[in-house]
Amino acid sequence: APFRSQEKKKKESIFDLSKYIDKPIRVKFQGGREASGVLKGFDPLLNLVLDGTIEYMRDPDDQYKLTEDTRQLGLVVCRGTAVVLICPQDGMEAIPNPFIQQQDG
Amino acid sequence: MDQVLFEKLLIFVVTPNNTNCALEFYVSELVDKCIGSRIHIVMKNDKEIVGTLLGFDDFVNMVLEDVTEFEITPEGRRITKLDQILLNGNNITMLIPGGEGPEV
Repeated sequence: APFRSQEKKKKESIFDLSKYIDKPIRVKFQGGREASGVLKGFDPLLNLVLDGTIEYMRDPDDQYKLTEDTRQLGLVVCRGTAVVLICPQDGMEAIPNPFIQQQDG
Repeated sequence: MDQVLFEKLLIFVVTPNNTNCALEFYVSELVDKCIGSRIHIVMKNDKEIVGTLLGFDDFVNMVLEDVTEFEITPEGRRITKLDQILLNGNNITMLIPGGEGPEV
């Protein structure tokens, strides 16, 4: 049987964000911004509402490196068009770089 | 507009760091509640815009007035514009109702 096309289904999400409601999540955006906050709402376009939002600031010299700096933003609407990644706050941790190769002379 | 939906929404007071939000609502309703209030828009790049929200469309292009534009990287330079601007929604990352903008 061929793949079922969209004609019978309406727009369905492949992932249900309602399990993250009222939980702290981490969000990454196009352009390198990162934020975390408690998920209060969302829509099918992946627009999000986060409460108690913290933005993690990047190094001014290296746009891809996070610093210790953060800023409080409070209640925030995140645009779904800019969202790149969503994960639970306790679902990630920083680790030492596993790709560095030791030079053995 | 669904009247029942509206009644499910709690009042989102336009102040920073509020608590007690409704469990179910739609994101565009929240932005709609900001119309007439100050809003702080964070772009994908290092630009931020603070202004009074006059309206927005399906693509979240925004019409703002009494606008201040901030560049974050070069020591927080500020450019103040009055009248009205149409802000292209393409590069908007975050919307902060009642936000005053970055500390400068």
